[in-house]
This record gives sequence, structure tokens and C-alpha cells, in this order.
Amino acid sequence: MPRPTAWVRWTVPTAIVMSIAPTAYATRYMAVEEAQRLAFPTATQFVESHVIFRPADVAAIEKLSGQRVQARGQQVWRAQADGRLLGFFIVDYVIGKHLLIDYSVALEPDGRVKAVEVLEYRESYGSEITSHTWLQQFVGKTRRDPLAIDKDIRNISGATLSSQHVTEGVKRLLAFYETCLR
Amino acid sequence: MTSIIRSRAIAIVLLAALLSGWTPSVWAASPEEIDQKLKAMEEEMRALKQQLKELKEAPVPTAQTPPQGAPPGVAAAQFTPQGVQPQAVNKDILGFLPTPIEGLKLGMYGEFKFGSQQNPDHNGQWQSGFDAARIVLLPSFQFTDSIIFNAEIEFEHAGFAADADDKLNGSVGIEQAWVDFKVNPYFNVRSPGVDLVPVGHTNLFHEPTLFYSVNRPTLANGLVPTTWSAPSMSVYGKVVDNLNYQVQVSSSLEDFGSGFGSRTDRNTVPPFPEGYEPGITGKTALALSRPPLGDFRQLSNVLATAVRLSYTPPFVPGLAGSTSVYYTPSTTPRGAYSDTGLPLKRSSLTLVDSEVRYRMPETGFEFRGEYVQAFFGSPANLRANNNTDPTDNVGRTMWGISGEIAYHFGLGRALGTEWELVPFYRYTYQNLQTSGFSGSDENTPNGSGKQQIQTTGFALFPGKRLVLKLTYQNVTDRQRGGCKCNYVLGGVGFYF
Repeated sequence: MPRPTAWVRWTVPTAIVMSIAPTAYATRYMAVEEAQRLAFPTATQFVESHVIFRPADVAAIEKLSGQRVQARGQQVWRAQADGRLLGFFIVDYVIGKHLLIDYSVALEPDGRVKAVEVLEYRESYGSEITSHTWLQQFVGKTRRDPLAIDKDIRNISGATLSSQHVTEGVKRLLAFYETCLR
Repeated sequence: MTSIIRSRAIAIVLLAALLSGWTPSVWAASPEEIDQKLKAMEEEMRALKQQLKELKEAPVPTAQTPPQGAPPGVAAAQFTPQGVQPQAVNKDILGFLPTPIEGLKLGMYGEFKFGSQQNPDHNGQWQSGFDAARIVLLPSFQFTDSIIFNAEIEFEHAGFAADADDKLNGSVGIEQAWVDFKVNPYFNVRSPGVDLVPVGHTNLFHEPTLFYSVNRPTLANGLVPTTWSAPSMSVYGKVVDNLNYQVQVSSSLEDFGSGFGSRTDRNTVPPFPEGYEPGITGKTALALSRPPLGDFRQLSNVLATAVRLSYTPPFVPGLAGSTSVYYTPSTTPRGAYSDTGLPLKRSSLTLVDSEVRYRMPETGFEFRGEYVQAFFGSPANLRANNNTDPTDNVGRTMWGISGEIAYHFGLGRALGTEWELVPFYRYTYQNLQTSGFSGSDENTPNGSGKQQIQTTGFALFPGKRLVLKLTYQNVTDRQRGGCKCNYVLGGVGFYF
């Protein structure tokens, strides 16, 4: 018969996992509504649309951004206050290393980046990209900026793929604005 | 068949009614009334099925006029009604094929090496060769958004085969396999499984596109025995913004360097006087001390604890680093003995690693530095100090330090990708044979464990996921005649 200490040592991990499992939910850093309020605190209305790309849109976005468009369309909200346009709010997805990263980009009416937030991060490593300091680098960027890792956006060592892919995603969304929203 | 369906429908209706509090009225209904209700429900179901079929067959809305509230100036784009998500293109299998099972993804990385290197076992003769070093498959499966399985299945040196004409002498192994339970950004649980021990940077991030030399940095080839995976479980998350932690409990390193088959069925080292190889030596550091991953064949009950803090301080943009501490109360395997026949008692091991990486903003400069030190609780109980080999003894500690400078040159766009050239230079010093020896051996270390290593070369990135490398490494140590283990190697590394 094993000693109680040995018994406890091997069963405690199982017990922890079993007790955690039912309560586990996505590693959500921010809900869509929170990100919307944070980006446009004075907005009274967020009007949702789903833009379905035509082949010409895909070609234009890919040409402008240098990134492949892998979705058939884009989810976008128009932020308004008393009928006045405050900007656009876009929810998008990129792959980190293996798994999807949900993030949002808020744009000024003229297409400048107002805010970028990571909504959900599922990878085991690389969550450093959720840092406010890193995301702050995107603010003010436009389609004319390079938006490239190690040029105007810093890489995060240890989160290389995640930081690269979010940067590429923002670049693609700025091209989307230019093609479909402007 | 109809009667079976009908009786099932009756049962469902009765159950639903019971649950929704209609029980009294159902009990009061006559069989004719129930039959009428069933017929009405069948009609309704038929109508719903028809509607669903029509919806499925309908083309994607192609209205050229944006709906009310849509962004202005977007007539060129097409809109779906609210609530219909644009579908992403599924390329989850190796980045170009759709997954057959929702939630299943498969990635891959690998590296090939070729070139010329000195063979210290042949008096330093330069010999040319090739190594299909590793191909690693990366399956993952999302049970839910927050319960995720990850694994790495590794084929080293092209795998293995039984037939003589195949000439394969590699291995296939599970390098990682675990389930993550994502609770919140501050606390997540990694289930018991096979996981990397969180010590240093290279052990956790060892894809060939993440370092510039063909071989992994020297400190990650002994003092930190990469790829160091172990039976383990972890908790991890962030402490505050820019500061993350991982705490892991794992099977302890073992001071046992003989092959797996040398373990007895009693899970002990081979009986005296058969002898066995040490796992911790003054020549190979900790490289041979990793615990086995399967079959309940670990040689001790001891559990080790590792804590890693990783940081990206916001006040120094471009800087990242980590500090790790690994502690095991004993590395001594079950039944351990000296060649004089005396049993070897416990010897603890503490391993400390601290490393930084700095990419100077808006320049191409990059710096990396690492310091590793191992502390042995009772060197007198280490097998290397009691195996009658006086040249591989271990002192009270082992340590190593390295610094690397690299510069990133953008080469512009060609063949559809952004090319980058990264020349680098790395200096490493490691001392695996310090003072403080204790044991039954003669102590005449040959100096092979005191090494100065200079590594230089370049890495050419046709894209972030592909790298071509060329590396020259020169090693000097204190043994007579030198190490005779220099190399000039080329490499191809990829990740997708």
C-alpha cells in the first residue's frame, strides 16, 4: 500500500484538473462590447454589418496589404453618436502559432487606427501580445505605414508568430477599409 | 417503422410536457386528441424541414445596395444580413488543406543539416555528411474554445527501420502531449502529460526559425538538456501585464545515462557489479539525465519543481527575458551504487537560468545573452564521481554564459516574400568541471568540460517561416590537443 504522501502526490494533479475542467472558459481578455465601449466611449449606437467580398475586393485587399485574404467577408460595426459617424469597429481573426487569435481594430472615419485589442488568446505561449504597451504601437497607423515587424512594430521574442500575424492582420484590415469602407 | 417513430414521438411529447409543467392536461387528453396533436406536430416539422432546405439551397445574398446602417461608400461590397458570419477559408491541415474534423489542426516544423565537421573520435578528422535532423508534426485539437489538446510528434534523423537496407538510425517520439484548460489570463492549468520543462528560452522555443546557428546554442545542448520534456503538469498565466509565470511539477532528472533497456524490471539501475553510465557528467553536463516519458519506467519517485518568470518590460521597448529555477530533491536513481559497491544516496540539483533578448527598435541590431548554473547538493553521490573514470567528474556546480549579436538586413521583396539576412556572432563559455569534487574516483579532469565556443555565420530568411543557414563554430578547451570538434554546417529550417 503506498504511503499517504505518495498517494496524495499523484492524485492531487488529477483532482485539480477535474475541478478546473468544468469551470474552464475561453481565455477572454475582452468582450466585443467592452472593446467597442473602450474605443468609442461616446458612441450611442453600433450598427453591425457583414461585408461579403467579391473577387475584385479580395484582389484589391491582397494587392494593397500584401496579405492573403482567407475569409469570404468581414464583420464590421459603424460607431455612431446621434447619427454622426465616429468610426468603424472590426472584429477579425488570425492564427497565432496553431490557434485563432480574436482581435478587434477600431478605425477613425479617415482610416487611422484608433485602437487594437486582443479579445481572446488561445495559444499556450505568446500571450505577451495582449500587453497594452505593444498594442498601443498600432494607434495612428494608416495604410501608408509599413506595418511590419521590426520596422514600425516591435517583435516580441517568445511571441514571434503571434505578433507577426496580428500585425499582418491589422495591415489587411487597413486595406479592407481602403477597399470597402472608404 | 412508422409505429416506432410515432411511439418515440409520443414518448418525447410526454417527456417534454412533463418537464414543462403541462402534465395534468396531457393526462386528461384522450387518445384521439393526442393523435391530432401528433399529426399537427408532424405537419409543422415537415414545414420547418422545407424551410431549412430552401435556406440551404439559397445563394449567398448578393444585394448590391448596402442595408440600412451599413458603412457608407461600400456599394462595391456585398452584404449579408446581420448574424450571418462570413466564413473563413479552412486551411487547418499544414496550412493548405481543409481539416476533416472541426477543431483539428496540423502544423509542422523541421530542419536538415549538412556540411563538414571534425570527428573527435577520429582524431579530429574533417568529415562531410548530412542529417535529416528532425521533422516534427504538430497536431492540436480544440475540444472547446478553452480546452485545447497540443502535441509534438518528432521524427529524428529520418526515423528508424528494421531492414538493413533502409539505413535508418533515428527515432520517433512524443515530444509534447497535453491538454490545456484555459481559465482566465491569470490562471490556466495544463493537464498531466508530456511537456517541456520551462527552463531557458531555447527549450521552449526551439523551432529552427527562432535561432540563427545551424545547431542550437551550446548552453541548450547540455546545461539545459534540450529538448527537455518530462511527465509533468503546470499552472501558468500572467502576474501582471508584461510579466508571465509558469509553475510545473515534473518527474525528476535522473543520474542514469545508460540506454532504456538497461533498466531492470524492478525499475532500478543494473545490479552491481554490472555498472551503468552516469546521466550527469563533467563532459556532457545534464544531456543524458532526462527522465523517460513512458511505461512507468522512471527510476525514482522524486518530483521536481520548475518556476519560470518571463517578462517584456514596457519601459525598455524591444527587451524580453526570463528567469527560471528548477529544483529536484534528488537525481539519484533507485539502486544507485559506486563502482566500489557502495550505495549512492540522495543528491539534489538546482538549475538556474536567466536570459535576455533585445531587439533595438528601429535598427537591425539584436542582442541575446544567457547565464545558466547548476548546483549539486552532494557531488559525492553522483555516479560520474564514482564510476572509475577520472575524467568526467563533477564539482559542486556547472555554469555557462553566452552573448550573441546579430544584425537584420532587409533584402526587399523577391519571389513573393520579404527576404532578410541575419549575420551573427555568439561567444559562449562553459565550465562543467568546477572545484568541489567528492567521490570514490581519482580526480584528474582532462579539461574537456571547460570550453570556449565561438560561433558565427548567417541566417537567410526568404520569409518568416523558412530559413537557410550557414554556421562556423570553433571550440577550444583545456584538454591536450584541443576539442577537435569544430564544424562548418549548412542548414534548412522551416515552420508552417
